[in-house]
Amino acid sequence: MTLMEPWRPPAISLDTNRSFFEQFADMIRSAIAKGELQAGQRIIAVREFASIFRVNPNTVMRTYADLEREGFLQTFRGQGTFVTKDPSILEKSKKVLARLAYEKWEETAKSLGMTIEQIIEIARKENEEGEKL
Amino acid sequence: MIAIQCEHVDFHVRKKQILHDVTFSIYPGEIAGLLGPNGVGKSSLLRILSGVMPPSQGCVKLFGQTAGVSTLGDTAVLADRGKLPAWLTCDQWIQFARKIFPDWDDDRAAHLIEELEIKKEAKLSSLSRGEEARMQLLTCMARRSRIVLLDEPFTGVDLLTRERIATTVVKSLADGERAFLIATHDIREMESLFDRIVFLQDGKVRAVDAVEDLRERGYSVESRYREVFA
Repeated sequence: MTLMEPWRPPAISLDTNRSFFEQFADMIRSAIAKGELQAGQRIIAVREFASIFRVNPNTVMRTYADLEREGFLQTFRGQGTFVTKDPSILEKSKKVLARLAYEKWEETAKSLGMTIEQIIEIARKENEEGEKL
Repeated sequence: MIAIQCEHVDFHVRKKQILHDVTFSIYPGEIAGLLGPNGVGKSSLLRILSGVMPPSQGCVKLFGQTAGVSTLGDTAVLADRGKLPAWLTCDQWIQFARKIFPDWDDDRAAHLIEELEIKKEAKLSSLSRGEEARMQLLTCMARRSRIVLLDEPFTGVDLLTRERIATTVVKSLADGERAFLIATHDIREMESLFDRIVFLQDGKVRAVDAVEDLRERGYSVESRYREVFA
């Protein structure tokens, strides 16, 4: 077992109109994707996590349970919660984040009555024109 | 088991009806907010829930027991504008409180003195509003009571003290057995604390919401508050 410090989430303010357990899951997944949180590293206890954001520990417990189900975290009784010791975890987190980003784009595209391809096309053109200026 | 079960509670003083058919439930491990503008009956409702005042009609059960003398030992209350005896020092008050509350826990009290930065030697009369609020919170939280009722704990208190009160509430919940009901007319910066919200207006329950469900529907507590009371 490594003697790494347990990972703490950044004390950012939460969106009050998005569910907290999803925001916490996003934080953990993206920390894994960015390599800030490594395979086998411990993350702080539910209670400590909850007191950083001043939310009910139940909400954090739900995040940990969801991420365990997704295979990102593992809890060992009496030891704490760890990032799964699996070298493919980095790739996996990127895949999940990419999928979530895609879902958001899809939603935006739908609300605009466009396809994602059309949006990319427009953004690319704007970008090229911007560079010319 | 339901922590706080309030069923069809009516309350009137002479001919004036203060509460109408108030019904809601709070579960163990929850931090519930009782929200509504000033003067809608929040304090009356908390007094009834705390067992010091019977409802005119309806019934209140705390962990299955009818609220009254028998539930006082399991219910900690922070009263709105409650006064502490000004002539005592913080430490003298703590020594007094530990004798009157049978469920007082010395370890918790010692921990809270540190966490809430209580100046033990200071006279209660010399405390700022924020320090007094922290002292009152300590008096509630040093007890093992499963029900904690806080009436306007954030009023007139600076942001850092508000945050510290919220942190203390969260930390003291860890065993998941306690239930909090916090009455407030001011939810600024405190909305993340609540899991369930009871909206009270003119003595009636206007809505009861699970906060994570609200968020999944794209609401914040504040936007829902505006919608309910608009």
